[in-house]
Amino acid sequence: MEEPLTETTPPILQDDEKRGRNMTDNFASGLLAASRPRGSSCIGQFTILDSAEVTEADLGVNFFLEPDDVGKFRAERTCALLEELNPDVQGHCNTEPVEYFLTQSSDTHPLRPFTHILVIAPIVPELLADIVSHCLTTSKPLFYIHCVGFYSDFSVQLPSAFPIVDTHPDPTATTDLRLLTPWPALSALVEEKTRDLDSMNAHEHGHVPYVLIILHFLEVWKETHDGQVPSNYREKSDFKELVRKGMRTNNPEGGEENFEEAIAAVLKSLNPSTPSSAVKEVFEAEECKNLTHDSPHFWVIAHAISEFYKAHNALPLPGSIPDMKAQSADYIQLQNVYKTKAREDVAEVTATVRELAKQHGHLTQVDEKEIEAFCKNAAHIKLVRGRPINPAFPGQKLKWGQRAKAAVSALTKPDSLILVHIAFLAYDEFCASHDADALAGAPRAPGSEDSEVEFDAEKMTGIANTIIDNLINEAGTRIEEPDYSDIGVRVAQYVQEIVRAGGGGELHNIAALTGGMIAQEVIKVVTKQYVPVDNTCVFDGVGSRTEVLRLGADSVL
Amino acid sequence: MGRDKYPRQSLGTLHSRIKQSRILMVGAGGIGCELLKNLVLTGFGEIHVVDLDTIDLSNLNRQFLFRHEHIKKSKALVAKESAGKFNPNVKIEAYHANIKDPQFNVDWFKSFAIVFNALDNLDARRHVNRMCLAADVPLIESGTTGFNGQVQVIKKGKTECYDCAGPRETPKSFPVCTIRSTPSQPIHCIVWAKSYLFTEIFGTSEDEAPELDHSESSDNAKEIENLQKETQALKKIRESMGSEEFPRKVFEKVFKDDIERLRSMEDMWKNRRPPEPLDYDAISQEALGVGPSIVRQDQVVWTVAENFAVFLNSLRRLSDRLEELRANADTGNAPPILTFDKDDEDTLDFVAASANLRSHIFGIETRSKFDIKQMAGNIIPAIATTNAMTAGLCVLQAFKVMRDDLNKARMVFLVRSTDRVIGSEVLRPPRPDCPVCSVVSSRLEVDASRATLGQLVDDFLRMQLGYGEEFSVSSEAGILYDPELDDNLSKSFSDLGLKNGSFITIVDEEDESPRVDLVLSISEQSLPDDMKPIHLAEKLEIPRKPKTAAPQTVNGSHDVAVTNGVSGSLGDGVTGKRKRDATDAGLEDEQIRKRGKVAEEPPKDDDVVVLEDSTNGAIFIDDD
Repeated sequence: MEEPLTETTPPILQDDEKRGRNMTDNFASGLLAASRPRGSSCIGQFTILDSAEVTEADLGVNFFLEPDDVGKFRAERTCALLEELNPDVQGHCNTEPVEYFLTQSSDTHPLRPFTHILVIAPIVPELLADIVSHCLTTSKPLFYIHCVGFYSDFSVQLPSAFPIVDTHPDPTATTDLRLLTPWPALSALVEEKTRDLDSMNAHEHGHVPYVLIILHFLEVWKETHDGQVPSNYREKSDFKELVRKGMRTNNPEGGEENFEEAIAAVLKSLNPSTPSSAVKEVFEAEECKNLTHDSPHFWVIAHAISEFYKAHNALPLPGSIPDMKAQSADYIQLQNVYKTKAREDVAEVTATVRELAKQHGHLTQVDEKEIEAFCKNAAHIKLVRGRPINPAFPGQKLKWGQRAKAAVSALTKPDSLILVHIAFLAYDEFCASHDADALAGAPRAPGSEDSEVEFDAEKMTGIANTIIDNLINEAGTRIEEPDYSDIGVRVAQYVQEIVRAGGGGELHNIAALTGGMIAQEVIKVVTKQYVPVDNTCVFDGVGSRTEVLRLGADSVL
Repeated sequence: MGRDKYPRQSLGTLHSRIKQSRILMVGAGGIGCELLKNLVLTGFGEIHVVDLDTIDLSNLNRQFLFRHEHIKKSKALVAKESAGKFNPNVKIEAYHANIKDPQFNVDWFKSFAIVFNALDNLDARRHVNRMCLAADVPLIESGTTGFNGQVQVIKKGKTECYDCAGPRETPKSFPVCTIRSTPSQPIHCIVWAKSYLFTEIFGTSEDEAPELDHSESSDNAKEIENLQKETQALKKIRESMGSEEFPRKVFEKVFKDDIERLRSMEDMWKNRRPPEPLDYDAISQEALGVGPSIVRQDQVVWTVAENFAVFLNSLRRLSDRLEELRANADTGNAPPILTFDKDDEDTLDFVAASANLRSHIFGIETRSKFDIKQMAGNIIPAIATTNAMTAGLCVLQAFKVMRDDLNKARMVFLVRSTDRVIGSEVLRPPRPDCPVCSVVSSRLEVDASRATLGQLVDDFLRMQLGYGEEFSVSSEAGILYDPELDDNLSKSFSDLGLKNGSFITIVDEEDESPRVDLVLSISEQSLPDDMKPIHLAEKLEIPRKPKTAAPQTVNGSHDVAVTNGVSGSLGDGVTGKRKRDATDAGLEDEQIRKRGKVAEEPPKDDDVVVLEDSTNGAIFIDDD
């Protein structure tokens, strides 16, 4: 990761259930490795829960395991080998079957010690539902993962409010110069530095920072436009011409770089700085409007910034300026004007935060650094609203809720991968209604017996079609022919491919790739940096592409 | 239930072909480790691995085939040893060698079904690209930068080659040896100052190697001991932070003692200028007159004495800050550290001055603080998970190639975005004016001791192939012959450095319908005296260049589907480098002006504009 990871050692549980062999390794090794460059900042502990023993076929997908390991507990071997990769990480394993682990009688939930949980399908739906609701009530991130043959998908269940400050926006998007609303110190600098523009020598004229050039010509423009700034494309084009006329061309270069910079910046910089919808969403969140004595710091600062916005009709100034053609002294002077204003804005927000803390009887002091970082990135904060993962119970209708309409519209797009996700839901239902043995403990994956491949595929296609029909009904719409038949044909192909993998077989290569994707998402969630996938990501190894779908139930069943 | 149960089920008939195939992987570093593991577990029958590098401590965080006990050993050999255990049915051949060595000639490349590039540098990538074109073997090219990755399938005559995209900027990740021992560019020294020196003194130091079994190999143990000693030495110096002699100790350690140690490794400096250690007392005399205002002159390139003054000054500032942090830190918490931030003047001054002093030692051009700020801010770390994903994508593309399904193969991009992690694009046909792949290539059997350039030019090119007066002959070293340059005609091939595996390019410069460029790879043979010393290995036909650079070939009715313009599989904002037709070009110009930074050379003709971003082949289209 680019930034040092600041989180302290969360124990992570991977429920490995019946498979997830190589994915776990890759996932965990990816995770360890990704977090390793900064020694002090990796995932602290992990636990693998898996009752299976190593088989011959495992050796073909899990590169860690050796022929001697056959017959030993997979969790034990894998855990030991993972620990070797990074001595700073503590690995644990548990070889209890997941149903015993989750149903042990105790005062506290068996998942309580863990901060992040990953579940690899298939799992009995009742057990998944228990994990889902535990994670919801304790605001723990949960990842639910499929990987069969050439396909994989994973869903992320985040807490209902998952705010991120450090979103790492595209660097080109972070410049905020406030050219339309200069404050007095900036206007004074413009006046000082451009007063004698016409009488400057060639060197001085060619080194006036472009920010000051634009501000200067805006004043010129306003004189002939009733004090208004250029507001549409045509006016901005005219304004560009005005700036171009100010450029000296009677020199060997036939122009001046600083003026070229100014002209190039006109379209982009002369926009009113209105907060994005993501920022407004944060301001309008209940958690932001109604602070309580134990509101997390994020909401206290967000509330203070929303008040700042109400008062000034602008977010706090980030304060950084891009590189530009200028004399060093001028550049530093300009930089200081921006930095000073940014500091003043932070001070104002900080005062509001302190006031709010007093009002609501906050016990913990919000760190100055946290406020500063928030102000700097205020235009790019993001709130992700986590939605519960929807376990597929055999014979029950899945509830798509608010996401039903979007899901149906994805159905009709020929290049959408939602049908892979639906095939996996059908896979879950199939597994849940077929037992591997008479003990009714472990689920049986489709295609596990060569003689039943065709039969299983037919059955699973039937389940998938029912899921599709129920989805269309829930959205209250219809899909006309030939689209409807086409959907049926496509989903049958995906099902076929999944059944062909034979009893939920993983390909090492696909699992390694999927593990890499999930490891990156886990790191995002653990460190609260970057914006995580919201909330389901599907990978198609045949077409080498992914799609992110916004799914999930309205509420837990 | 055997170990290849799952691949057999999912891959079907392809699986048996994979088991019988013989493939080559060039590079066993970040992507290479992941890729080799994937190839072995997928069951490719025979895998050859070539890598020149040895293993460094800092590789271990992501190159998981290597452990502490492997430090200083060959990457290729250790990778073979580690990955060989993953599947007893796979045969791995490892070469601790440079892929540009003559033993890896076109015939050797021809013996493989597929070649995978898992390289970290442009030069070797371009070389393998040329070799694969010459041998007509499909190449899977891959690369990563931070969170971004890219996989490209290259097949002669069917797809764009690596060089079709035009000149590329040097990628922003560097082999560790380059950083630690053999820097050759300013950026190498900046990375050293930022990621090594700064972190060692003010940040979290690299992990210490745990106790090792020294009995295994005395040679290897000694190297590890050396590394540990170095870490210990710096650590000890770090303990004296705040003392009067601290700056001098640091200076003499990294700019004198370590340099002298490097200099003593004579093998390293056979073909390079050896580094010159700096003398503290001498420079401090020179630096007497340098005032503190120097740090504000950030667009001026400082002298050695000025860099020295800034180094000492910023070292003091940073030490004081760290001392203060320590004084205020609660006991029991992790000890405070400083981290580099390009906007933090103290850290920037330190990195700029240290980088410049090191550049001076190695005879590299020094830079202004302003330049260094840009460069230091752009250093992107290698990320293990991105390598894992990219390696997985390489294998998926290899499946398409193995199935002869080239029209289903894709150019695949890994992008850091919340809406899409992986996107793909249809492969483009070769660019008709590409100087590397839109050429005729052939193999020349040469008796290098007898053959002269004159014989090549007159007997072979003019008499045998019918070239006229106007053409040039060049090698990787530059132009050997053109009508104005005939000095070399009497020289033999060996005199000109043309040996087994070298390429020569013949460019026809006639005004009237010139031939396409001809690329000849040299295969050294001792030919009987009664035979001409230059001999063509196979029959050769050289077509004429098309009249114009013909955008219609790009956009027109080709049997391979082509995306043009902004539409394409990566619609919203992120696109690969693209060719556009005339209707889009106006808009394009506007965007180039707006972004300011991507404007390339003006297009050769009005119809085609090629855009390429400097970092990862992705450009961002503004939405306003």
